Amino acid sequence: MYHRTARVAEHVRLADRTYRVRLDCPDLAAAIRPGQFVMLRLPNTSDPLLGRPFALYDTVLDAAGRPVGVDVVYLVVGKMTGRLADVTSGTSLEVWGPLGKPFLDVGAPDHVRLVAGGIGQTPFLAFARELLGTRGFGGDAPRKRAAKVTLYYGVRTAALAAGVEDFRAAGVDVHLASDDGSVGFRGYVTQLLESHGTGGPLVGCGPEPMLHSLARLATAWDVPCQVSLETPMACGVGACFSCVARVKTADGGWDYKRVCVDGPAFDAAGLVWD
Amino acid sequence: MVDLSVSLGRLRLHNPILVASGTFGYAKEMAPLVDFAKLGGVIPKTVTAAPRAGNRPPRTVETASGMLNAIGLDNDGLEHFLAHHLPYLRTLPTAVIGNIAGKTEDEFVQMAARVHAAGHGLAGLELNLSCPNVSGGLDFATDPDVTRRIVRRCRDVCPDLPLVAKLTPNVTDIQRIAAAAADGGADAVSAVNTFVGMAVDWRRRRPVLGNVTGGLSGPAIKPLALRAVWRIAQLRAVPVIGVGGIGTLDDVMDFLVAGASAVQIGTANFYDPTASVRIAAALPGAVAALGADRVAAVVGTLTIPS
Repeated sequence: MYHRTARVAEHVRLADRTYRVRLDCPDLAAAIRPGQFVMLRLPNTSDPLLGRPFALYDTVLDAAGRPVGVDVVYLVVGKMTGRLADVTSGTSLEVWGPLGKPFLDVGAPDHVRLVAGGIGQTPFLAFARELLGTRGFGGDAPRKRAAKVTLYYGVRTAALAAGVEDFRAAGVDVHLASDDGSVGFRGYVTQLLESHGTGGPLVGCGPEPMLHSLARLATAWDVPCQVSLETPMACGVGACFSCVARVKTADGGWDYKRVCVDGPAFDAAGLVWD
Repeated sequence: MVDLSVSLGRLRLHNPILVASGTFGYAKEMAPLVDFAKLGGVIPKTVTAAPRAGNRPPRTVETASGMLNAIGLDNDGLEHFLAHHLPYLRTLPTAVIGNIAGKTEDEFVQMAARVHAAGHGLAGLELNLSCPNVSGGLDFATDPDVTRRIVRRCRDVCPDLPLVAKLTPNVTDIQRIAAAAADGGADAVSAVNTFVGMAVDWRRRRPVLGNVTGGLSGPAIKPLALRAVWRIAQLRAVPVIGVGGIGTLDDVMDFLVAGASAVQIGTANFYDPTASVRIAAALPGAVAALGADRVAAVVGTLTIPS
């Protein structure tokens, strides 16, 4: 795990209020795996005070194919992300990671279906590359794990769809849904998925009601489903016990588990949904 | 060479930089980032007699230069701590100060006795008399008589173990509580735990925290904590461990000069996880800058112009 100041190599707008920030951090980039995250913090200020967790969007490789940086994609939602959007190339951010566990092993299926809502597409680009065997992570050589990867991606409106071309360029089949019908299927992404019927393992990331719907579909179809949770975190490393989710226990009850160290991906069948 | 070692009663530390309970997990979480040997000691998360699930989320929220937390002492209980966390903690190349909270006075005493009987290997035991986030009257350190009794009875059952009483700032006169802890036989007091506060989402007309109220920590509370430490130090009755908003070397030096014999880095572990070791490494330079050759010589050297 690394804690350092990292130079912002690039900072570009991808969609409405959505940006991709590229950080120079070769050691972290060489270690991080899809599903893991980093904490980012603005230096030299106590307001905002705490770091914020951001999924690995992609690793950045140099001409020789060595990892030299990480990309993070974020939506401006509050004080920290608002200030983050003003950070320019050449300045620095504080970063620590890799944090959390990688996505759960999906085995060797023909088809993996990634289901994202809102800004929940961000952990899936690196994961798609890993599944399709087009990039290795954490020092591993690339290895094809799935024949096909599909992204079901739901947004409120077309202007918020971020990174669609990145997914298509990575060989992912993308199906869009929007609440207002401005792009793709009009309605929820889980309704779009349902209309396509059952298939391979499901991996979800997005708002909790969406993930709950996805978990219900997975149960009905009897397919494996993991979901990557987002909860408020103070430290990202397991020290503060802020970011808990209710996870079923062997005795039939439940216990709070830390999303940062026990997740962020959990088997959907093991979660207690509100 | 600057001598960084400090003694607080019978508690001996090779340097005065500790990490505060509840901000460092059970130390293992921080192992990838922190060289424990560089710290004066670590204080793991509070343990209760029985397992506690903790409060419903959201458990933390950021506020201006600070944060509110209402974790609710989420832990797996004392027996689990002794079986699963203590064996690891014992291997650390630094002082480990356990931290316990009882639901009643008797439970505090039973827990202290159990720790003692377990052949603990701890450098000390901090009594969390002041968690603001659990119901059932855990905020014992608002009452000097209760504080004195708990410390004295714990002292009686583990006579060889340095005891630290962690005090709440949510009182009218913290000097009285500190004096009572000293009278009960505390080797030191930690001042202060978090200040009770709350955050509201007016659009939804709801409290932000699942527990409604929480404890405020971080840079926002440093002046309040500093004043509490200075007040207690003036008693000259008990060594003080300063805690509250400490995140930089300057913060540490302010607390030492104001009368803290040691300090705890708390919330800074969350937003700057290597702060504690960087501060410890830089401490000798700051002590030397005051013309001192040992850190103990700068403690309580605040002078007030007449």
